[in-house]
Amino acid sequence: MENPRLKAAVHYTVGCLCEEVASDKEMQFSKQTIAAISEVTFQQCENFAKDLEMFARHAKRSTINTEDVKLLARRSNSLLKYITEKNEDIAQFNLERKAKKKKKLEDENKNSVEPAEAGVVESEN
Amino acid sequence: MADSYSRDSEPTTRTLLRRVLDTADPRTPRRPRSARTDVQRALLQTPSSRRLRSQTKTTARRCSNRARSVDRLAHVQASGHLEEQTPRTLLKNILLTAPESSILMPESVVKPVLAPQVVQASRRESGRGSLELQLPELEPPTTLAPGLLALGRRKQRLRLSVFQQGVDLGLPPSQEPHGNADASSLTSSLNLTFATPLQTQSVKRPGLARRPPTRRAVDVGTLLQDLRDTSLALAPPDTVLEDTQPFSQPLVGRSASVHHSLPCRSHSGAKDVERAASRRTWSSGLGLQNNGAGKAAQLLAGKVEEVDALAMGFPNISSNISGEDGVEPLQNGVGEEAEERMEESLREVEKAAEAQGSARAEELEGHIEVTEAEGSWGAVEAKEPEGSSGDEDTSGRTASPELASSTPEFLRARRLQFLEPAPPPSTAVLPSEPPEPLLARLPPKPRIPGSRPRQDPYKTGLNHYAKLFSFYAKMPMEKKAVEMVEKCLDKYFQHLCDDLEVFAAHAGRKTVRPEDLELLMRRQGLVSDQVSLHVLVERHLPLEYRQQLIPCAFSGNTVFPAQ
Repeated sequence: MENPRLKAAVHYTVGCLCEEVASDKEMQFSKQTIAAISEVTFQQCENFAKDLEMFARHAKRSTINTEDVKLLARRSNSLLKYITEKNEDIAQFNLERKAKKKKKLEDENKNSVEPAEAGVVESEN
Repeated sequence: MADSYSRDSEPTTRTLLRRVLDTADPRTPRRPRSARTDVQRALLQTPSSRRLRSQTKTTARRCSNRARSVDRLAHVQASGHLEEQTPRTLLKNILLTAPESSILMPESVVKPVLAPQVVQASRRESGRGSLELQLPELEPPTTLAPGLLALGRRKQRLRLSVFQQGVDLGLPPSQEPHGNADASSLTSSLNLTFATPLQTQSVKRPGLARRPPTRRAVDVGTLLQDLRDTSLALAPPDTVLEDTQPFSQPLVGRSASVHHSLPCRSHSGAKDVERAASRRTWSSGLGLQNNGAGKAAQLLAGKVEEVDALAMGFPNISSNISGEDGVEPLQNGVGEEAEERMEESLREVEKAAEAQGSARAEELEGHIEVTEAEGSWGAVEAKEPEGSSGDEDTSGRTASPELASSTPEFLRARRLQFLEPAPPPSTAVLPSEPPEPLLARLPPKPRIPGSRPRQDPYKTGLNHYAKLFSFYAKMPMEKKAVEMVEKCLDKYFQHLCDDLEVFAAHAGRKTVRPEDLELLMRRQGLVSDQVSLHVLVERHLPLEYRQQLIPCAFSGNTVFPAQ
């Protein structure tokens, strides 16, 4: 029980998810089940974190990358697929963001130039 | 030994005096009182005698002269004093005044003994190690003539005599003949012999003795089981399902194009059969394999196709044999990269098989078969399952033959895995062969030269592990159980190789390195924060591997400070 508050948070989240599933499938979850699931989740999170760190170190990096996450999830094909798709979405999103930002900057430059010109014109006038 | 030592290295007083004694006439033993009276005179003379002694020590080859001078001096002194002044008395006095020596001499030979005793005492003074002193002290009380002990003044000599008696009685194992006159040298040499064996035995490296020789055989099985347990526990159920994905390449479809792919099928069929046959007969002769394959096929093949293929395959086999020669030269260049390439190409084969008919798969498989055959040829007839011997595995692996003998078992597992990628795509291609787990795993690949030996070692390897498993189960196992074990092992090794490949790729490499394996072991839980890889190596592997795997073990304790 290293981090009781964290564990409690995990437990609560697991409980909420289980409730959702229970209402979806119309099947109840016992308390022990939820506790067991939350315990397992917590342990798995620890394992994942350690593995991710190991993978990053194995690739001689000091930051955990999406590559590390993909390596972690490679066992389950569907999960891997999901993660890869998400990764691509994020990458695309970032690209779009970058493009937007660039455009914005250009627009701002233009805008700053125009008001200046307008100001000059006005002042001249 | 003492003799030689004294004579060769240092012409000490001992040598000189010995010569004196040898040349001098034997005299009657001195009595204690006379000895005492002599002592006083000796005290006067000791400085001179000591001077003599020191002089004689320094000079190398003038022993005899010195001896004569000593003799003359002694005689002079003797003539100058009472009648008891002889070299012997002189020496005796030296002994009395000198620190105690512990060489024992029998009382009966006191006279000649005294002189050597004196000599030895002086010698000991002069800087011998304390070895000799130690040992006789260890055995003071052994066999004591009470009469010896009674003499007070002679305690020094008593100890020597006691020791000598003990020696005479044969207490210590290493015995030299105890002469009398020569007892001095002998006792000193005896002392030496006592000392040295103890030392040499203890000097040998203790670390070499600590491992039982059977450790290797034991740990293959247990390690394997541990690994299997942990890996099976880790693998989520998804993977099991994923692996048996129905690549929709039913045999029916293949058989439709059977004529076109007949060589493939025949090859594969024969290979399947041979894999089964390898269980019984592992012979290096290809011909033998063929025959065995033929018979086994008829016994095992539940599929008519395969039997037909086999029948057709035989002529192809014979033609393939001739083609094998061309494969051999390829074997030299095969490295670990080949593994990766082949795995990837095998994946391609899977997809190809799915997508199209057998023709293209044949091509790819043929290409792969060639490359695989290189390795398998290297694997050769002599290739045995991993667990048996690293050397033979070495002969199998073209990558680094010298390493295999020194690679630990888990690295050798990787080597064997080279062959494993072949089965999985084949497994995929043969989804409708569940009843025969053996044959189900065998790939319907085009038969190419050298592929048959490849199949055999594959099967033999798993068979070996299954046998180990049944051994450690300590109870008889059903055949079905053994087959299931083989299946699990197969899946396990597949996973192992996949992981290794992925790890290597993750680090941007094409070669699998020990770091990848360490990472894998970490994931398996064998290596943890508490247990490092070196600890495992020390625990489970023979000492020779340890020296090669752990850098600090063979660095020779040289520490290079960071500069």
